[in-house]
Amino acid sequence: MRRELGMTVALLFMCLGLWLSNPDFLGQSNALNTVRQISMLGIYAVGIAFVIIGGGIDLSIGSVIGLTGVLIAKFSSPGAGGLGYSLWVGIPLGLGAALTVGILQGLLITRLKLQPFIVTLGGMLFIRGVSQTIVQGGTLSLAGSKLLNLANGGFWLHNGDPLIPYPFLIFVAVLAVATYVLHFTVFGRYVYALGGNRDAAAYSGVNVRGVETATYLISAGLAGVAGVCYAAYIGQMSQQVGVAYEMYAIAAAVLGGCSLRGGEGTVLGVLIGSAMMRVIDNGINMFQLNYQDADGIHRIWRLDPNWTFIIIGGVILVAVILDQVVHIVQDKRRIRRAADAALAASDAQQHSKAA
Amino acid sequence: MTQGAKTLLKMSGITKRFPGVIALSGVSLSLAPGEVLALMGENGAGKSTLMKVLGGAQSPDEGSIEVDGRAATLSSVRVAKSLGIALIHQELMLAPNLDIAANIFLGSEPGRGPLLRPLPAREMKQKAAALLSRVGLTASPSTQVSLLTAGQMQMVEIAKALALNARIIIMDEPTSSLTAGESEHLFQIIGQLKADGIGIIYISHRMEEVMVLADRITVLRDGKYVGDLTRAEATHDKVVAMMVGRELSHHYFPEKVERPPAEARLVVDHLLVQGAPLGVSFHALRGEILGFAGLLGAARTELMEALFGVTPALSGSMTLDGKPYMPARARDAIQAGVYLAPEDRKRHGLVLPMSVAQNTSLPNVSSYSRFGYLNREQERRVAGAEVERLHTKTPSIEQRVVNLSGGNQQKVVLGKWLAMTPRVLILDEPTRGIDVGAKAEIYRHMAGLAEQGITILMVSSDMEEIMGMSDRVVVMHERRIRGVLVRSELSQERIAKLMTGTREEGGQAA
Repeated sequence: MRRELGMTVALLFMCLGLWLSNPDFLGQSNALNTVRQISMLGIYAVGIAFVIIGGGIDLSIGSVIGLTGVLIAKFSSPGAGGLGYSLWVGIPLGLGAALTVGILQGLLITRLKLQPFIVTLGGMLFIRGVSQTIVQGGTLSLAGSKLLNLANGGFWLHNGDPLIPYPFLIFVAVLAVATYVLHFTVFGRYVYALGGNRDAAAYSGVNVRGVETATYLISAGLAGVAGVCYAAYIGQMSQQVGVAYEMYAIAAAVLGGCSLRGGEGTVLGVLIGSAMMRVIDNGINMFQLNYQDADGIHRIWRLDPNWTFIIIGGVILVAVILDQVVHIVQDKRRIRRAADAALAASDAQQHSKAA
Repeated sequence: MTQGAKTLLKMSGITKRFPGVIALSGVSLSLAPGEVLALMGENGAGKSTLMKVLGGAQSPDEGSIEVDGRAATLSSVRVAKSLGIALIHQELMLAPNLDIAANIFLGSEPGRGPLLRPLPAREMKQKAAALLSRVGLTASPSTQVSLLTAGQMQMVEIAKALALNARIIIMDEPTSSLTAGESEHLFQIIGQLKADGIGIIYISHRMEEVMVLADRITVLRDGKYVGDLTRAEATHDKVVAMMVGRELSHHYFPEKVERPPAEARLVVDHLLVQGAPLGVSFHALRGEILGFAGLLGAARTELMEALFGVTPALSGSMTLDGKPYMPARARDAIQAGVYLAPEDRKRHGLVLPMSVAQNTSLPNVSSYSRFGYLNREQERRVAGAEVERLHTKTPSIEQRVVNLSGGNQQKVVLGKWLAMTPRVLILDEPTRGIDVGAKAEIYRHMAGLAEQGITILMVSSDMEEIMGMSDRVVVMHERRIRGVLVRSELSQERIAKLMTGTREEGGQAA
């Protein structure tokens, strides 16, 4: 919990700083949009957290998000290129495709003992190619579809915007279920055991292959749910939707305390990590310094948007470096204390023998 | 089992084949309630395979198993557990990121239902606390396992077995990573388990432990059942003779010739090593084979790792040929001519997927290159010469070492150091897992190297080897040197007493 607490404090300071520099940061429109963005990232970051805590990795989720959206657009778009079926056809098909990807990858990893990195890298490229083939290199518009309400609609209308957007509601539901499953059920315990010591889990009679397959299924399934939201949010599906999203999810999970070695991480941490990623993203646009130059003219200094990746990368590196430094210092102290204690005990033994 | 007591477990005619190997051939074993059965045999005798069969991790090709007089098919770990069979592995099988309670109930969480049922956390903590008090562990059930000592983890494993209501507990080398105090505690707990009617199969190489604990000893050799001894019948020599299949002979150890006294090469003074030796001092002469005897937990390997610089010493001093020597990393030791053939040669001694030639050149590869370009010709020549010198059996020097036998792998490790100029060669368990023929060859090479003036520090848990090879023997116990015996003083009893910490006359105090 120490890490979650630290990240929460860092996040609050970040928000405070951004608000002071630019009050629009907490203005209704920007705040709502940021919440939407956090929610959509958070949905699939929670998914990949299952895989990462179980000791695996899933690089395919960005492509799964794209595929889900493209399938919905293809089947349910009323416009050109779409087949015009109901959303009740398109959405189940999109989600079904996502789950199929998850189960296939999970089976390849657990039955054929292939490395998750390679399987999901192959999956990432393969699925991206499928999306590309479906859209034929162009875009499919969802204009006029009721699906767009999913991103823009919600409850508690205020100045024309819903204060509780649907993606946020979905995210809250995902958080609640994931917290229950990961932290309070037998299955969740097995995911941690799998990541902590796979052999121990297997020799305790845990169905490790089943549990591991399930983590990939969860990851792909939640990527599918996020894909539905993104399709609604973007409204125009092209092969580019979802590219590199897995990197944001991995970063959010790691910032939130998941270890890529497996066995560590919490749903709360993933929530904080996702929020942090999106606040940084948004903050780069929002941050500004007002000043007067030598001529007394009022000017505004802004961050160069080209620095986006430098800043995000820097934040991730600083977070993991700090975490590791704390670990090293603690380990050193522990070893020192143990050596001192052993030496003292042994000296005492010598003295008592001499006496 | 002849005493007519009811039989808890009966395995008969167990055969298990692996591609190219018959791991077990018609092995039988029986166990009564409240009995401690020691299972003994050399490496590769089939003990582990037999126990994997019993634990449900491997199914036998032939043979039958009866639990409580009823035929049982142990098709999976789960089935074995449901029949009350718990296997405690040598390398403990715990999830370090989970707490004690979670580990104890891993895979057998209370309650029934689907995997998505809620975890009965409070019930687990309460039950775990009761089990912990039964095994005499005072830690809280919420303690994360990574914070425990090896001895405490062993107790968690036993608690885990008890949580299953296990009636048969298999312990594989349980004391291998325990201190003497922790082992003592384990033996007490084993006594309690016996009193509760639990049958225990105890695998150990430590004769003295077996003699104290076991009601009966079953000996395996080369995958076959050799025989049973009751505690009354068992003597050290009898058991060893059954294990190796012949009366012991010393003939494969090279003749020791008395040599004129040589000058000191390595002098170690009050060396303090992290988690290991507490201020040890000794010296080794030129051309001497200095044996290091001790039980596991004596920290001999840790001492050697400090001499080789992989875990730098915290304090103390050393000199090598009169010059100060204090390696901060392995590189320093190698530059000074101090080389280590490590205990775990597959992990620390060799890069298994690389070839014999590549492994041989590894520590010195920069000297085979010019401007970073590797001279493969020279690499091959040197590797070829070492293969020839050590009679390494390999189809070619391009062969991957993973495909070689244990003895030949050890020769590759030796070769990689002999291709350089050793002053001190540290051999940690040089013949562990190596067959008798290759053993004799390695002994011959060791004697030859010593004759050339190379100092050999040999850590060995094999008493025969210590007695047969050493010029002098340093005996360690519980991270301290308890005595140094010269050749004329060597006797098995003396070494055994020193290394179990029994204080006696004899030996120079160190």
